[in-house]
Formats: sequence, structure tokens, C-alpha cells
Amino acid sequence: MMEDPAHFLVVTAVVAVATFATRAIPFVFFNARAPPQILSTIEKNLPPMILLLLVIYCLKDVQWLYAPYGVPEIFTIAAVMGLHLWKRNAMLSIFAGTGLYMLLVQLDVFSIIFG
Amino acid sequence: MSQQSESLFTSALKTTLPVFLGYIPLGMAFGFLLEGAGYHWIYAPLMSIFIYAGAGQFIAVALLAAGAGLTEFAITTLLINLRHSFYGLSLLEKFSGVGKIKAYLIFALTDETYALLTTTKAPDEGSKGKFYFYITVLDHSYWILGSVLGAVLGSVLDLRLEGMTFVLTALFVVLTIEQYHASRSRFPFMAAMGAGVISLLLFSPDNMLLFSIFIGTLILIAHERFVQNDLEVRNIAEQDPDQEKIP
Repeated sequence: MMEDPAHFLVVTAVVAVATFATRAIPFVFFNARAPPQILSTIEKNLPPMILLLLVIYCLKDVQWLYAPYGVPEIFTIAAVMGLHLWKRNAMLSIFAGTGLYMLLVQLDVFSIIFG
Repeated sequence: MSQQSESLFTSALKTTLPVFLGYIPLGMAFGFLLEGAGYHWIYAPLMSIFIYAGAGQFIAVALLAAGAGLTEFAITTLLINLRHSFYGLSLLEKFSGVGKIKAYLIFALTDETYALLTTTKAPDEGSKGKFYFYITVLDHSYWILGSVLGAVLGSVLDLRLEGMTFVLTALFVVLTIEQYHASRSRFPFMAAMGAGVISLLLFSPDNMLLFSIFIGTLILIAHERFVQNDLEVRNIAEQDPDQEKIP
């Protein structure tokens, strides 16, 4: 792979401008005028919808049809949910869940079961 | 730093801790990938500072390796990051009156920062802009730090980071539960389940998030229209037919 600084900088600039454009569009569009009524009601419902979609998005690469059939992910998410509904301590839920998941995948616990 | 702004900063630091733990391994993976493609490590922070988009940067490296043209870079990036436009839509009100830093808040709006900004309340309304700025700039610096670490050390050290990015999944799960407790309507969650499952089945993993947000928003709009029509019909039905309308 040859390294051409000028080409790299141009590519970085193009990608940076395109990324910024996607983030700035709504603010440019609705800076002068208020967004239409339908949008302002949608506005309130977008965050809860998008947050749950981000959870689903995190599972996009899970191979549901092959061992371990997404069990580590579903198991850990259930544990995080249970812990959070019980204690309502965000830090505890997040770190306990992550620790559990790292143990499950690094020790390959479920491959023993499905092995 | 004054006492008050210090506690604001500390509060932002605590809020962003899960993102720190998520962005370090993710950023390292990116730095590692870029270095592996034959680029000097200095390019990793360069991209992380000016582009600052996880999926966007990973795909940019893949396109670089494939020798893509500039048009391909532009279109791919626009499509990958189009979901950010939806984030802005729900932040129009929150970002009004945050002052001069608004441009930076818009520039650095990632999935994770969006999730934190829409779920965390500033300690007091007057310091809203400052609090948002701290959260945003901290997340941004974690990402830059991670990508430098990855590019410089990733090839040398053998770290057992496998599974650590699950911290972001756990963060989103917790924030969703908090949203569930805070919001009156259950419909957005049903819309998300429907749109999410449809998109997982129909679209490639790379495109799934954009399409699911798009489909979910359509469902929300259809539902809103339906509820409004329903309300109008009921209002008309409830009106006394003998009474004259008050203009």
C-alpha cells in the first residue's frame, strides 16, 4: 500500500465535510423557521426509538443461526436489564454487564455447552 | 476553574465513563486497521479529529485500500452517516441557546454522544451549554486517544480487549430503560422493535441502522397522523350539534 499524503488529506477532507453535512442538515434547514408541527411531535418520540434501535444495531453482527446462537449477547443483555431494573444504578449495570460479557466470550463459556 | 464548573466537569466525566471504555478499544481497532493498511500512525488522530465517525472511518480505510474515487468516498460517507440528520432533528430545541459552542456540538454529534445528551439532564438549566460541551469534547478526546493508542501500540501489545466494546451495548440498554421510565408513550419502543427486526432481516449490517431509523420515523409519522385524525373525529363527534360554533 503506497502512502500519498496529499491524497490522504484530500480523502480525509471529503469524508469530514460529508460527515459534518449529515450532522448540520437539520440545523441549517430549521434555523430560520420553526419545524412543521408533525416534526416537533416526532422530535419527542425520536430519542426513545433511536436508543432502542442502537441496542438492536449493536446485535447486527451476531450469527443467530450458528453456535453460540447469540446466547452470550442475549444472556448478558437480560442480565443488564435485570440488574438495572433492580438497582437502578447505571454504572453498576454497565460495568457488571461488560465484565460478564468479556468473561463469557474470552473463556468461550458457551462453546463448551454447545460443543 | 470555579467550584461550580468543576463539579459540572466531574459530572460530565462520570457520565462519559462508559463511552471512554467503549471508545478506547473501538478507537484502537480503527488505529490498528489504519496502521495495518500501511499508513503512518499520525493519520489516525488526524482522521479522528476531523472526521470523528466510527463506522465512517472504518469504511474510509476500506475504500482507501480499494483505491476508491472521491465521489465514492463522498456518497458512501453521506449514506453511512445520514442517520445523524435524524439526531439533529430531535436536538433542535435542546441546542437552541447553548451559545457559540453550538457549531462544535453539531460537528461532534456521534451515536454515543447523542445517547448521552438526550438522556442526561444538565445539573441546572443555566449551565446546559457548558455541560453538553464537556460531554461532547470528552467523548471526542477518548476517540482520538483510542485511535492513537491503536496505531502506536496495537501491533506491539497483545491486549485482551475482546468483548470490551460490549460496554456500548450495555450503555444503550441502560439508557433505553431510563427513556422507558421517562417517556409517557410506549409507542416509540414498539416502532423501534418493528423497524429494527425488519431492517435486520432485509438490510446488510452496514446499512441496517440508517434504514431502521428511516422506517421507524415513518412508523412514528403514520402513528401521529392516525392519532391526530382520531382526535379530530372524536372532537367533532363530541360537539353538541345544536350549539353554534365559536369562531
